[in-house]
Amino acid sequence: MSTSSVSKGCFVFKPSAKKKKTLSLVDYFTDGCEGAENSEVRFKLCQDLWDKIKADTEVLQDELNRKILDSLLDFTRKCSSTPSEIPTAALVLGVNVPDHDMTFQSLSELLQQSVTPHVASVQAKECGALKHLMKRVLERLMDTVVTVDDEEEEGEEAEQTEQTSAQLHKSVHCSLGTLCDWYNTKTKVSTGTPGKKRSSPAKDEQQQPPVVIIFKDLEAFNPRVLQDFILICSRYIERLPLMFIFGIATAPSTIQHMLPHSVSSLLCIELFQSLSCTQHLATVIDKLILTPKFPFKLNGKAMQVLISIFLYHDFSVRNFIKGIQLALLEHFHSQPLSVLCCRKKEALLHMTQLSHRDVERIRQLLSFKRYVEKQEQQEQVNLLKDDNHLKEVCQRLIKDLNKYHKNYYPVLRCLHTLTSSLPRYPLGKQIRELHLICLEKNVWENEDYQTAMKLLRMLAKDELITLLQRCAETLQSVKSKKMKNALVQLEELLTKFKQLDTAVETAPTVEESFTSPVKNLQKKTDLFQLQKTLLEMNETRRSKKLSPFEVLRNEALDFIDGLVRSYLSPPESQTLNEVCYYSSSATVRRHLNATPRTSIQAALSSPYYYLQNDNLKTEDGSVSNAAPDICIAYKLHLECGRLINLYDWLEAYATVVSAAEGNDPDSDNFGKVDEVKHARFIQAVSELEFLGFIKSTKQKTDHVARLTWGGC
Amino acid sequence: MSKRKGKDAHLPVGECITLVQQILRERLCHQQLPDKPDGIEAQHKHLLELLKRTAVHGESNSVLIVGPRGAGKTMLLKCVLRDLLEEKEAQKNLLQVHLNGLLQTDDRIALKEITRQLHLENVVGDKVFGSFAENLAFLLEALKKGDRSSSRPVLFVLDEFDLFAHHKNQTLLYNLFDVSQSAQAPIAVVGVTCRLDVLELLEKRVKSRFSHRQIHLLSNLTFTEYLERVQTQLCLPDDFPDSKFAQDWNDSIQTLCEDKSVEEVLQRHFNSSKDFRSMHMLLMLCLSRVSVAKPAIKPADLLEASRLCFADAKANMLHGLSILELCLIIAMKHLNDVYEGEPFNLQMVHNEFKKFLQRKSNSMYNFDQPVIMKVCINMKPLSKFFLPFNSFPATRFLESNTLYCFRCSSAMIGRITVNIYIFCMKTDKFNIFPSKPITYTSCFSSPSGLRAPAAAGADPTG
Amino acid sequence: MTALLQHPGYEEERLQRVAEQLPCREVQAGLLLSLMGQPQQYSYPSIFIYGHRASGKSHVIYQTVGHYSSSLQLPHATVSCVECVSVALLFEQVLLSFFGCDAASLLPRSPSLSDFVRIYKQQCSQSPAKQTRYIVMEKAELLRDTDANLLPALLRLQELVEDNITVILLSEIAWDKFRPNTGCFEPLLLHFPDYSKGELQQILSQDRHPSYSAELYSSYINILLGVFYSVCRDLRELRHLAALNFSKFCEPLAEGKVKETDTHKLWRNIEPHLKKAMQTVYLREVSSLQWEQMQQMEEKETGALRGLSAHTHVELPYYSKFLLIAAYLASYNPARTDKRFFLKHHGKIRKTNFLKKNEKTSNHLLGPKPFPLDRLLAIFYSVVDSRVAPTASIFSQISSLVTLQLLTQVSHDDQLDAPKYKCAVSMDFICAISRTVNFDIVKYLYDFL
Repeated sequence: MSTSSVSKGCFVFKPSAKKKKTLSLVDYFTDGCEGAENSEVRFKLCQDLWDKIKADTEVLQDELNRKILDSLLDFTRKCSSTPSEIPTAALVLGVNVPDHDMTFQSLSELLQQSVTPHVASVQAKECGALKHLMKRVLERLMDTVVTVDDEEEEGEEAEQTEQTSAQLHKSVHCSLGTLCDWYNTKTKVSTGTPGKKRSSPAKDEQQQPPVVIIFKDLEAFNPRVLQDFILICSRYIERLPLMFIFGIATAPSTIQHMLPHSVSSLLCIELFQSLSCTQHLATVIDKLILTPKFPFKLNGKAMQVLISIFLYHDFSVRNFIKGIQLALLEHFHSQPLSVLCCRKKEALLHMTQLSHRDVERIRQLLSFKRYVEKQEQQEQVNLLKDDNHLKEVCQRLIKDLNKYHKNYYPVLRCLHTLTSSLPRYPLGKQIRELHLICLEKNVWENEDYQTAMKLLRMLAKDELITLLQRCAETLQSVKSKKMKNALVQLEELLTKFKQLDTAVETAPTVEESFTSPVKNLQKKTDLFQLQKTLLEMNETRRSKKLSPFEVLRNEALDFIDGLVRSYLSPPESQTLNEVCYYSSSATVRRHLNATPRTSIQAALSSPYYYLQNDNLKTEDGSVSNAAPDICIAYKLHLECGRLINLYDWLEAYATVVSAAEGNDPDSDNFGKVDEVKHARFIQAVSELEFLGFIKSTKQKTDHVARLTWGGC
Repeated sequence: MSKRKGKDAHLPVGECITLVQQILRERLCHQQLPDKPDGIEAQHKHLLELLKRTAVHGESNSVLIVGPRGAGKTMLLKCVLRDLLEEKEAQKNLLQVHLNGLLQTDDRIALKEITRQLHLENVVGDKVFGSFAENLAFLLEALKKGDRSSSRPVLFVLDEFDLFAHHKNQTLLYNLFDVSQSAQAPIAVVGVTCRLDVLELLEKRVKSRFSHRQIHLLSNLTFTEYLERVQTQLCLPDDFPDSKFAQDWNDSIQTLCEDKSVEEVLQRHFNSSKDFRSMHMLLMLCLSRVSVAKPAIKPADLLEASRLCFADAKANMLHGLSILELCLIIAMKHLNDVYEGEPFNLQMVHNEFKKFLQRKSNSMYNFDQPVIMKVCINMKPLSKFFLPFNSFPATRFLESNTLYCFRCSSAMIGRITVNIYIFCMKTDKFNIFPSKPITYTSCFSSPSGLRAPAAAGADPTG
Repeated sequence: MTALLQHPGYEEERLQRVAEQLPCREVQAGLLLSLMGQPQQYSYPSIFIYGHRASGKSHVIYQTVGHYSSSLQLPHATVSCVECVSVALLFEQVLLSFFGCDAASLLPRSPSLSDFVRIYKQQCSQSPAKQTRYIVMEKAELLRDTDANLLPALLRLQELVEDNITVILLSEIAWDKFRPNTGCFEPLLLHFPDYSKGELQQILSQDRHPSYSAELYSSYINILLGVFYSVCRDLRELRHLAALNFSKFCEPLAEGKVKETDTHKLWRNIEPHLKKAMQTVYLREVSSLQWEQMQQMEEKETGALRGLSAHTHVELPYYSKFLLIAAYLASYNPARTDKRFFLKHHGKIRKTNFLKKNEKTSNHLLGPKPFPLDRLLAIFYSVVDSRVAPTASIFSQISSLVTLQLLTQVSHDDQLDAPKYKCAVSMDFICAISRTVNFDIVKYLYDFL
């Protein structure tokens, strides 16, 4: 049980998901997936889409890491170490260790480009003892240099390394002293040939490039080893400009716990905190999910599964993306119509090329059926009979779907901007929550939505204006026609608000009389209070005529409401949504969050579930005596207590089996134990032991102990 | 040593001192051999006889020289060898093999060493031998001289003999003794050890082959002899170039040894240990204080030297501790008393400390857990105070929870508290303790405490 | 200092220079030198120097024996026992620094002591010592962990290699802890006492800021020592502290509010900061640069940057949090109390019923107890609010917590069927965690019943 982090889930990927680059892949993809005829196309689409997503995520990662990496680089550059202390960067990365590799990768690359060629990164599991750590560091450092080096040095570099490697084989020489000598020769060489200086800018600004050692997972290191290593390094610090980078998963105080004062006083530690993985996820979702850019979508349930895996089990963004990849693959593999899940043009093109079977498939689609029912008689007939007609219609529908997406996200963002700042977040703080709500069912029927609207209707003027402006900004970037004129209307509203200011005669008294309760409404978070104020506000509103501001406010919010109602309808309502939306959350869960234990028990208690053999079919959960031996043994052992007498067990088993062999119950050798049965029984038992259901016990001879409970 | 026989040649003092230093250091540090082994003439004679028989008449022998450390075993042996080699016969016959248990840690190495010391590497070359015995036999065989068929006698000196007894199967010892028993090549095996029970270490078969000859060096010299010995150790030889200076020096030594205080000091040393080494150390310390400015050993020097020799390391180390650390140690001590020497962990120590602070509010800053932990861990190297109790590896987070045992006599604690007290008198900034000198019990007596009623009985203060 | 100045056999001005390098250690250095005697003379076979950390042991040795250009250049080999992962390294370094690398290359693959001695002998027969050779071993306490013969052999090395050589051992532990049970050649013991307050004052005052007067700096040091001396006498730590706080100290001077002479004002200005520093003494929380940042931040009330130990919060996945909580409960509650805490209808069990007699001290003081995996899971399932499927990732999270050292596996790694764990987090840590999932852990802790 040695894993790298909290984020270690067990992934049961289809092999095709892993080796995507190999050629035999296409047919691997095609076989067993229904609608084989256009599978190549689908595979192609899938691959392109995935590549796009991958590229985007990588860009995203870099952006997210840039800030902290840059500060780290600065730190390494200035590297102003007092002769006694080793400069050390404590880099706190959070518990999602799988994501760290990428960070460290880019970090060391950046370092090698811009600061120093001498970078070595070590992991805990490869240096159990000081000797190993030493060896690793030396190897890494020297190798890096060799690879980085230019041709003219290749010769002497090569012999250098081979001598060093020779030394490394003799662990006698595996000391920092050798490293020092090597480093001196190295720096001499690099500064001696001015021609190469240009290639590595670092050497210009500082004559002595530092030697950076990255400890990827500090917690896992054996403190003893670490302390000794630091002690040794500190003896060489004036000869060798060392510096450390500690990768910390939990908390910086780990350093305190690991290093005694005598050691930590040799370091000069600076702290670098990376942004939390939840923010990270938020950005990823924002850039990958909440965008019309990719035709492939997840429906509410699937989305929910992925997010909950992230929040409940691992904080790993990488795994989240892997999940998306899995869903993508599954979608294209299982859904023949996914051939239409692509850009509008291609989709239309593919639509024209659809085979009859595919058309039939379309007719089977739920959403399409719903659509058909809405049409009048003649049209229905056409749709069901005439393929070409259907294709035309479907082209239009596809277009609609695209439009829907184009409009959905901006409106979603608007709504989020409005509601995210309300007290107690009726529609959730994160946009992903709002998204999930919208995916489930009509938002506007959700009572949270109602409360949110009520609250909005009580916003003070300035806040409302700012929010609306933010909405306007979000809308600006959108190109679609509808959004454009929505934007126009919004701006009109805003201008009206502006005019309201200029209109002097509206007494400020009215103004504040309504803003003030709202003001203190913001403060109180007690729901009951909230309701009360709401009520009294309502009746006050009823009692006296509305001030122009309120009129305007209602108008604005009605407008927003209108937007929501027209554009935030859930995807299920859209016709042909099955084309783009991947819906089988069960598959995702099964693959990403497997439950080995339960499946084993399922297999044992009802073998039919896996080996679809009819004479294994049984009712009321009992096992037919034709079942495999292990199943029978298992079933029998369920009836026993903590300790199982092997002989009784064998007896029972023998009876069951001989019943299966169909020899008559009253014949004398019925239930007799012969060698074969015995052997089979022994095998079954040992298998059970192997699966961890029983184990041999010292308490009683010829007994075994049960390790599980309950008759599942 | 300069061999100039120039009578009353007057040298400048500096040079004399240099010479003195040189000569005496030869004696004290380098164990230069005395002209005659005083006090152990009998053993010397005995051993010389034995070895002569081997060297000259080619008899095999085996003997153990047993005596406490620094009793002069090696010196004896060396003297004997020196005298032995003065004989022509022995000189040209005898071969010597010196092994040391510290160096030859197993028989393979030992055998290599033997081969080397007998200069037989080239003879052996890269032969492979079935057994150790064969190998040894071959070596001894190879020593046969051309003309006579008798082979040359070999003297094996095994220093730290007891360590050889720990080798696997004691093969080396077995074979050596075996050879010395059977009339093969004439060899003498001389073991030097400080373990009186060394014979118990030998296996039966080995023991049976050993001629139970032992030479014991249990020096039973009286204090007067001891005094003489000191004097002789310090005196300059007659062939010292500047006889005048030598005369003065020896006289000064004479007077030194007659001094009363010196005698007391030497008495103390004599009582603690009467062997050469410790005496040498003492004298060395005195000698090191001789300089051009002060060309003689004064009683004061001797006193100073003995002070250094008898310095109490623990006290020294304790003195270096800061008040905070001392307080923590007292806390440990207190815990130790309350729980009757059961192990405690640093968490408890911290608690004790906090209770103490509550009682003396203005005394000292209250420190957080991490600081206290650091301090305690800092004190770990001087592990005399508290030792890890359970072998469970202390992970970083658990550092505060690993159990320790207290290792500190209450006498020492007394010393600590006094230290603190003195310190408090000196410093006005913190008055850690009430004005009266305190002991750990009074400074930690806490009627209310974390301990359950059961433990309260154990609390000496409660 | 006189002790140093007139020592025959070494050039005056060198001694002079060395003496300047060794403030407040003249006595020890003098004693050491006089023991070493003149270069060509014999010296005592082995000298054992002990004293607290930062009491100038290595410094004195380096200055006198060698290692610095200023020191008297005597033939010597300095070896840190930390570095010697194998004795081979030790031998190699010694031979290297005495006879050059060709001698070192004579060592066989995994050399024994006798090889070393043999090579040493033959080498020094070729180049006999005109001066005493010195082997300096730092952190000698580690020699006890290497093979038993090494230490005794080193102590009588002079006799073994028949050369004018002296082994100097440096350690923080008194000699009593070294002596092997069969005894050995007793080295000459030399104690380096810790610096007295006055000496510290003198030493620290030396590295004064050029732009300020010596008096000012020494008064600053005086204040510093007044605060810290009772807590820490470690010269290195004090240096660090001095460097940290000096800029703060002379701030008012820079602003021209206070004159250098007005020590009282300065004291009042610096005191709070020193108090703050007192809380983090020994911790080395921040580099000096970050410390300054912190100071400024506090002025403008935006103190966000804190020391290392301030950050103890760890973000964990939801179930990991509950697993950790369960682990904590499992290792701090006696197993017999689980029934009461986690059974829905445990009837009427009062604390007195299952309070064992003579349970002296709280479990929290005794530290965590190991617990088996299934107990952990049982508690976990009863603690976590929603119904959790026993998925693979739950189990993987446990092992992940182990790798993060929040749990520690007590039983051996290869024991598969019933692994045992301990919870390795502190009380306040777990409290913080359980607050985030609003789970009132104190209600479930036996100690706080």
